[in-house]
Amino acid sequence: MIDLLALGLSHGLLALMAWRLLQRSDLDRDPPPGEGDAEAATVRKPGGRRRD
Amino acid sequence: MTDLGLTAFVLGLLALGMRRPFLWVLAYIYIDIVAPQKISWFLLASIPISLIVFVAAFGGWLATDDKRDSRFGFRQVLMALLLVYCGYTTLGADFPEQAAVKWAWVWKALVFAIFLPLTLRTRLRFEAVVLTMVLSASAIIIGGGIKTALGGGGYGSLHLLVNDNTGLYEGSILSCVAIAIIPLIVWLMKHGTVFPPDWRVKLFAVALTFACLLIPVGTQARTGLICIGVLCMLALRFAKRRILYMGLMGLAAMVAVPFLPQSYTQRMSTIENHQADESASTRIAVWQWTWDYVQDHPLGGGFDSFRGNKVRYRKNAAETSGSVTAVDSEVIEDQGRAFHSSYFEMLGEQGFPGLFLWLLLQALGLLQMERLRRRWSKRTGPDEQWQAPLANALQQAQAIYLVGSLFVGIAFQPFILLLIGVQCALWSYLRRIETPQRAVRRGPRAPVPLAVTPAA
Repeated sequence: MIDLLALGLSHGLLALMAWRLLQRSDLDRDPPPGEGDAEAATVRKPGGRRRD
Repeated sequence: MTDLGLTAFVLGLLALGMRRPFLWVLAYIYIDIVAPQKISWFLLASIPISLIVFVAAFGGWLATDDKRDSRFGFRQVLMALLLVYCGYTTLGADFPEQAAVKWAWVWKALVFAIFLPLTLRTRLRFEAVVLTMVLSASAIIIGGGIKTALGGGGYGSLHLLVNDNTGLYEGSILSCVAIAIIPLIVWLMKHGTVFPPDWRVKLFAVALTFACLLIPVGTQARTGLICIGVLCMLALRFAKRRILYMGLMGLAAMVAVPFLPQSYTQRMSTIENHQADESASTRIAVWQWTWDYVQDHPLGGGFDSFRGNKVRYRKNAAETSGSVTAVDSEVIEDQGRAFHSSYFEMLGEQGFPGLFLWLLLQALGLLQMERLRRRWSKRTGPDEQWQAPLANALQQAQAIYLVGSLFVGIAFQPFILLLIGVQCALWSYLRRIETPQRAVRRGPRAPVPLAVTPAA
C-alpha cells in the first residue's frame, strides 16, 4: 500500500513534469538574453494557473 | 496492476519523446535510478529496456539536437580516461568473471555521464534533469520514509520497493544519496519553473526532505548519520544567523533522539566505540590489506579485487555489569570482505592511476562549482539568480557524497556519476553564456580586430 502510494505520487509528478516540458519552447532553446526572467517564461497549459 | 502502470508510464514517456527527444534522456535517467524492470515482473522485465532507452536518447540527440552549443570538457575527458583504464584493468583482473559483471554496469554509467553534458544546453534542461533525478529517487525514498515513520526498518531489513542490494536499493547507498539530494530539493523548491514555487511545491519539498532524513534512521546505516552532520555544517556555511541555526539544530536533535528506535541509537553509538563493532573493525583491517596489496600491485587488481583478501582483526567486546567493565577480546579471521570505502575501492581495484583520475575528477568538481558560485552570486539580473544556488547545491551534494563514501564503496554509483555529468554541463554552459558578457566588458580595452576594407 505504502509502495503504491510512493510509486503513484512520484510517477504522477514525473508524468506531469514530462507533460509540462512538452509545452515549453525553452526546453530546446534558451530565450534570447534580455527577454526577461527565464524563471517567469513558463508557458502554461491552457487553463493552468499563472505564477505571480 | 503495478506492472501495467509502470509499463504504461515508460511507454508513455517514450511516446512523448517522439515530440521532444530530450525526454528520452530523462527516461534513461529515470530507468537508471528506479530500475522499473526490477519492480515489474512481466513486460518490462523481459525486454532490455535500459539499452533501448539509451539508444533512443543517444540517437535522438545525434539526429535532432542542436550540437553547436555542446562542449566536451576536461572532466569528461577524465571520465573517458577512467573508462579506458577500467577496461584495461578488467582485462587483467584478479577475478575476471566477477570483474566482468561490475564492468557491465560501470561502463554504461560512465558513458552516460560523459554523454549527458552534451545534451544539457538550456536552463530548462538542467532543471528537468535535476527534477527527474529527485523525483525518481523519491519513488524509493517516500516509501522508505513512511515505513520508517510507522516503525518499520532496521539494518538491512527496511523493505524498499525492491528487495535487492543493488543500485539505490542498498541501505547505505540510499542513505548517502538521500541526504545528498536535499540541497537539490531546496534548489528546485526555490528556483523551479516546471513546478513553480507555491504552497504545494513547498509542502512536497519539505515532506520529501523529511523522508530523506528518515532514510538513515530506517536503514540504520551509520554513513547516513555522518552525511546528515556534513549537511548541517554545509548549511551553516552561508547561514546569516549561524548561532540561531546551530541552536535550532541542537534542539531538533534533542527532540528527535527520544523518538529514535533503541536499536538505532545502539548502532550509532558504535561510531564512537568502533573497536567493539565487527563491521567497523573489518573495514580498518580491509583498508590495511588494500594498502599492502597495492604496494605489490600499483596498477590495481581490477574490479572486485577485494575477493582475494584475508583479514585478521581483534574484536573487543565490552560488557558492563554494575561498576565493572569486562573487555573480551577475540581474534577473527575473515576473507573476501568488500572495501567499504570508495577511496580504497578505487585504490584496490584501479591502483594509483585510477585513484588519481577519480580524485582529480572529484576535486575539480568541488573547485569548479565553487568558482561558479562565487562568479554568479554577485549578479543581480532577473535571469541570473538560479546559477549560483545550483552550483552550490551540486557542490554540497558532492561533498556529502565524498564524506559518505569514506565508509561505503560507491565510487561508480550511477546516481553520483549523473551528478558529475550535470556539474560538467553547468560549468561549460555558464562559461559559454558568460563569454559574450566578458567580451562586452573587455570591449573598450581589447583591441578591436581591424576589418580589411577595400580602398575606395
